[in-house]
Amino acid sequence: MAQEPIDINVVKSMLNLTDEDLVKPMPIPTSWSQPFWDAAKQHRFVLRKCSKCGNVDHPPYLYCTNCSADEHEWVEASGEGTLAAYAINIFGVPFPFWVDLPYVVAVVELPEGVRMISNVVECDHEKLENGMELEVVFDDVTDEVTLPRWRPVDESRRG
Amino acid sequence: MSAGEFAVIGTGEVPTGNFPERSEFEIAYTVARMAIQDAGIDKDSVGAVLCAQHIMSNPDNDYNTEMVFGRLPEAIGAKGCKVTCMTSSGGASSYSIRKTAEGILRSGETDTVLVVHAQRFSQFTANEQAKYFSIAGCDVEWEYPYGMTYNSLAAMITQAYMAYTGTTIEQVAAVCVACRRWAMLQPNAMFNNKEITIEKVVNARMVSYPLTTLMCNVLGDGGSAFVMTTAEKARKVCDRPVYFLGEGSDYSHRTITRANISDFNQLTRFLSPIANEAYEKSGLGPKDMDMFEIYGSYPTINLMILDSLGVAGPGKAGALVEDGETSPGGKYPCSTNGEAMSFGHTGTGCGFAILVETVRQLQGKAGKAQVPGAKFAIENCGGGAFMDCHFTVMGNEIPG
Repeated sequence: MAQEPIDINVVKSMLNLTDEDLVKPMPIPTSWSQPFWDAAKQHRFVLRKCSKCGNVDHPPYLYCTNCSADEHEWVEASGEGTLAAYAINIFGVPFPFWVDLPYVVAVVELPEGVRMISNVVECDHEKLENGMELEVVFDDVTDEVTLPRWRPVDESRRG
Repeated sequence: MSAGEFAVIGTGEVPTGNFPERSEFEIAYTVARMAIQDAGIDKDSVGAVLCAQHIMSNPDNDYNTEMVFGRLPEAIGAKGCKVTCMTSSGGASSYSIRKTAEGILRSGETDTVLVVHAQRFSQFTANEQAKYFSIAGCDVEWEYPYGMTYNSLAAMITQAYMAYTGTTIEQVAAVCVACRRWAMLQPNAMFNNKEITIEKVVNARMVSYPLTTLMCNVLGDGGSAFVMTTAEKARKVCDRPVYFLGEGSDYSHRTITRANISDFNQLTRFLSPIANEAYEKSGLGPKDMDMFEIYGSYPTINLMILDSLGVAGPGKAGALVEDGETSPGGKYPCSTNGEAMSFGHTGTGCGFAILVETVRQLQGKAGKAQVPGAKFAIENCGGGAFMDCHFTVMGNEIPG
């Protein structure tokens, strides 16, 4: 899978990209998702749980997708997950992510009954395996934004 | 819909590829006239003109605005037009627009509907296209900040499918090879002059493991059109109408993490009941099908769809494809236009292309790609981040 890395500066001049084209996209929270990102900034992983029916929604929406109720609470999640599927991005990603290549994007199953897309980090790519146990880690990508990512629980899988 | 209530009587299509000088308007006007002439009808008998969305917009002359403001009926001189509108659902547009057409036909307002798709990606820069598709394929808040792309979405589905079914990467690559073999027989396909091998596909540049460049579809300019009418009128004006015999639909999600399945490894479980519904409504089964016109957009999706169609059994489609059974001359011809991988991906138009190809085959007009004696086929489309799936059984006769 090892392939020649591509120099982003060469691409930048070839395609007349501006610095702005290389700025990483950040989550743009909605009024109903803001508590998730506020908690992440405090290194807490929370999920929206309906107070009427108990349904956990992720991504969260304006009201419960099961019973349409507004009432809800943000509950502390276990921070545990399992790897359901993954891809290793090698090439052809949006320009801001070229500096990260190769990186892993994955579907993570949470015991709370929801899934999320995230990155598996601190991992030996050769040791990725569906069903492996993951734990959340918090990456303060800017002063304002923290992204929850995941790493293997098993230290022998870390890289 | 009762079996055989509506039919397609004519189609039109332009070559897919990189044609910056050919505007999306030129494509739309061209395929509209082709479809009307192919149907052998008077253009003034067209009572409704429906368009699908053009992906991305040119602010100086926006196709979508022009189409929803009635440009097309005026430009093609459809003097009998009473209704015009745009209906789209991404890659599932050929289905949603057809349901709109059926509603108009059923209303009795007209008995002839023209449906048009046109797309010109080449007017946009590589960076503009990359930006659009990196956002279109995923959720801007929950996925894009993690560097998720359309290709990585297909890659993770491929990874999960291979791990769960034991399908090999060579079998995944075989889908691309089969698509290319069909495209070689198609004058309008984007890649129709160079064969590829499994080895070449597997060893191509890795994009998003386990997918290589040759396992990812390529965007191209293109367009097609078809004329729909009632079965009653179809029989009067057309030697060989192609009837819609039965269909099944389901919607799952916008965001792949919310896919409507309990086990992420088993996306086929979402698809099978939809295909079965289409078969049941048509009164036909997999053994009756002469073609399996699949629009998966990525090779693994084609395998998952084929798994659900009752010819190979869950997880077994890869072996079938690897044995050449879905290629020209095989027992189960699949995606006979070469599909997104080799025909080219025209935005909302891939489903149109596969539907138009199904009609051509069933009308005996498929040229070098013609499946001899084709009577029945099942076709599908789906859109978004694999948000939905629609199967339709079609035939040039109405069974029993």
